Amino acid sequence: MSDPKPRAARTEAHMRRRLLAEFSVPSEPGNERLAMARVAEAIGELEVRGENLERLKTAVAEATMNAMEHGNKYRAEVPVEVVVLVEDQDLMVRITDRGSGPPPSRGGNAPDLEAKLEGMQTPRGWGLFLIKSMVDEMSITGDDGHHTIELVVRLGAEGGK
Amino acid sequence: MAVRHLSVEVRLEPAVAVLDLMGEINGFAEEALNTAYAEADAKDTKTILLNFEGVDYINSTGIALIVGLLAKARASHKRLLACNLSEHYVEIFNITRLSDFMSVFPDEESAVIEASVS
Repeated sequence: MSDPKPRAARTEAHMRRRLLAEFSVPSEPGNERLAMARVAEAIGELEVRGENLERLKTAVAEATMNAMEHGNKYRAEVPVEVVVLVEDQDLMVRITDRGSGPPPSRGGNAPDLEAKLEGMQTPRGWGLFLIKSMVDEMSITGDDGHHTIELVVRLGAEGGK
Repeated sequence: MAVRHLSVEVRLEPAVAVLDLMGEINGFAEEALNTAYAEADAKDTKTILLNFEGVDYINSTGIALIVGLLAKARASHKRLLACNLSEHYVEIFNITRLSDFMSVFPDEESAVIEASVS
């Protein structure tokens, strides 16, 4: 995917960008908690605390679950890759799986709870909505062999959303 | 990181059957949750209370399991209440609108009082 910013602007942005953590987890049920704990540890210096930290942890856990389940089909040998970056006032967490096909172009709308309670819809389908509700920005990109979800939290005076 | 599988104890208080939930509410919790709910349902009270005091993690699959319990309760004309959720999960119950269908109380005492007067 091309970056529309001029080269000078890209270079300046990369100089301001700092890598806080880069790791992977096997695609096994329950490992979203591992990703959540590693991200929380990586951002310890940023003073994201209390409810803001809990929101980010939930978003990371749900995004990792989606990557393990829908992208990697819970094949343990296929890792989910996690990168944590900070750039100016933006904390970014990128979670990449080996999914094929186009990434979801829509998602994150509020599920219809009444329809679920009446049995007209599956009770599942909360993940993207929870992610979108927990962070300031969420975007999904992908190519033939990868999907990446990027979570952004603004580190303002409140330290997050 | 080891998964803390859910365990549930069911007890009867005046006018309410209480499910004491301990562990994580995720995909592994389905059998324990549904078995305990069936036991509570059989106690023939009008109200069932989910006590989240021992729960430190609920994921989207866990939310779906709770939606399933709420659907069962509605179908059998029972009230489902919740208590002792952390601040974070109160927010999640609010944004998912679960709290529109399931009253959330800060502690068991207030939930039991509500159950006994209504």
